Amino acid sequence: MRIAAGVDVGSTQTKAVVMSDNGGVKVLARALVDTGANVQRAAERAFDACCQKAGVQSGDVGFVVGTGYGRYKIAFGNTQMTEITCHAKGASFLCPGTRTVIDMGGQDSKAISVGATGEVLDFVMNDKCAAGTGRFLANSAEVMGISLDEVGPLSLRARHPVKIATVCTVFVESDILSYLAQGKTGEDILGGVHIAIAKRTLSLARRLNIEPEITMTGGVARNVGMVRALEEVLGRKMLVSPDAQFVGAVGAALFALEKLDQSFESGIWREGHAVPGGH
Amino acid sequence: MIEELDGKTMTDMKEYRGSIHQRQKDLMLAWYEQLDQAASTGSPASVSMMISGNCVELLEGFGAVPLYPEINALQLAIRHQSLDPILAAEDLGYAADNCAYVKADIGCILKGITPTGGKLPTPTLILCNFVGCNTYLKWFEHLAKLQQAPLYVIDVPFMRTNEPSRSDLEYVVKQLQETVRKLEQLTGARFDYDRFREAVACSSRTEELWSRIKHLARRSPSPFDAYFDAITLMGPLYVYRARPEGVEFFEAALAELQAKADAHKGIYEQENFRVVMEGPPPYPYFRTFRDMFAKWQACAVASTYSTVGGLWEFGFRHDPDHPFESVAMHMIAQNVTNRNFLQRYDQIRQYVEEWNADGLIIHFVKSCRLFSAGQGDMRDYFTKQLGIPTLYIESDLEDPRYFAEAQTKNRIDAFFETLEHSKTAAIRSGAREEK
Repeated sequence: MRIAAGVDVGSTQTKAVVMSDNGGVKVLARALVDTGANVQRAAERAFDACCQKAGVQSGDVGFVVGTGYGRYKIAFGNTQMTEITCHAKGASFLCPGTRTVIDMGGQDSKAISVGATGEVLDFVMNDKCAAGTGRFLANSAEVMGISLDEVGPLSLRARHPVKIATVCTVFVESDILSYLAQGKTGEDILGGVHIAIAKRTLSLARRLNIEPEITMTGGVARNVGMVRALEEVLGRKMLVSPDAQFVGAVGAALFALEKLDQSFESGIWREGHAVPGGH
Repeated sequence: MIEELDGKTMTDMKEYRGSIHQRQKDLMLAWYEQLDQAASTGSPASVSMMISGNCVELLEGFGAVPLYPEINALQLAIRHQSLDPILAAEDLGYAADNCAYVKADIGCILKGITPTGGKLPTPTLILCNFVGCNTYLKWFEHLAKLQQAPLYVIDVPFMRTNEPSRSDLEYVVKQLQETVRKLEQLTGARFDYDRFREAVACSSRTEELWSRIKHLARRSPSPFDAYFDAITLMGPLYVYRARPEGVEFFEAALAELQAKADAHKGIYEQENFRVVMEGPPPYPYFRTFRDMFAKWQACAVASTYSTVGGLWEFGFRHDPDHPFESVAMHMIAQNVTNRNFLQRYDQIRQYVEEWNADGLIIHFVKSCRLFSAGQGDMRDYFTKQLGIPTLYIESDLEDPRYFAEAQTKNRIDAFFETLEHSKTAAIRSGAREEK
């Protein structure tokens, strides 16, 4: 039995997944911690917690692939890959038939065209602007004095969603305050916020050829309001795995498993490609 | 171009360091010394110009030296010194999204900063030789005011079609002749037509050599990086191409690079990827940026930026039998910035196909609308219409505040991971077919 792990160090949260190929490739355990200021420590905590949940020793894990912005800080990782490549791989595994990935994380949103074997065909990302990311939602929740977990369900109850003109994560706060002053309900304001983000994300994704199946990944995929808003602007249903937040880590772990399988001649492991042990 | 930075990077290991590197340094320092001398003694005459479609040949008829504010600006950026002058210009009222080259240059004049620490002369003439971007016009107007120097504008018609019209050419030729009269008045010297013709002949020879160097990058592996290394060669190209020193320099460069190509030596032990680069580099993070490509052993085999000052690899040469007309033709039609976008598409397509590239990298420059507007459509065209893998990244050529290292690196890594995958998949599929 081969055991491998993927650790996805994101801007907000760090995710770890341990997988094995015993009796079919499967996820043994997953763990999630806040990234905080000490990126290296966050990766260690997530990995250790994940091993414990899986009931394996860290020494049993044959290969670890790090991904996400903090990937080069994962001291125990064997190699690193971008979360773009890992999200495509993970989404194809968790949601077979995926051809487009829409990933919304804490500071990033991206759209990826995916090939039949989970390979990246093309991708686009937001650039130096947090509009259309989880941070936009977090700021909106904060100014309204509610928790991030509440914003999605509340937005579903909107009857007359307001129009949020700004796409700026900072200026959205003054838009919201202005609507609150006008007596608009929290539900209608949040409905407007979700639609604004969905439209922003759609304009990003349109730079690619959006083809079904469309899979949503990243922490924001847990937000039911965001999923619905995106489905409305896309005009079709998306696939959302219960492991949506772990898709990057799953993709990384799958690459790690392939590495352990010497018979698998994956392109990603061609000689001279991956840079072992940091950069 | 003549920078020397502290600290070793991956680039240090990969960067081409032949004897021409030292020659280039010597040439560029000699140029700055000439400018220093002009500042102290008033001789030789000096003329400020734009790189885009520069008419350095005309200056030779007066023995005048060119002053390129853009080179001054990029020299500062590559040494990580551009932010102070940019802030000085912003203090004066320049907006955050104004061209950062302009701000760095204006800030340098305000603060008395020069690239080498030596003196730069007050130009005999400020010659705005390119007005495809109205920022240039405003830049040079402000320079004229700050430096109290005369300004003359050559109105170069933008390329609306594939070839300039007869009247476009005549229009620019007349303005070049007016420039000659203007310089005669300002310098008190007569224009030496024979020397001008010799300069045009020199340029023609330099251009042939430069073109042959660029065609060496069609070899696999390419003996040099036609983006990062080409920038090293661009200084002598713009300052010296109309002089014998320029011809000698490019003869040496061609011989050296030809020998590398014949020995099948590339810039890496193994050239893994060949890319075409569109847009200027982020000079404040030049080496960091280069390292991001070196990590993947990716070599630029062609670049549009290296054709800003002139487009010669497709056959155009200055013509000593028609010196004014060929200078005008160069200014209108044979530099990438004055050409229309469809022509730029075609140029890039030719690079990808004929230089056998794996993909295209578009570097969008935040503060340069002229070069960057439309690059989103360009990405669409190359990915959707032609199926060429294309990466689009954003920062700036001069302002360090626009460069996000982690984001840029992430995109570049993901792009090459994708290319790697598709290359290997193609090899495997080929192997299966053979079986």
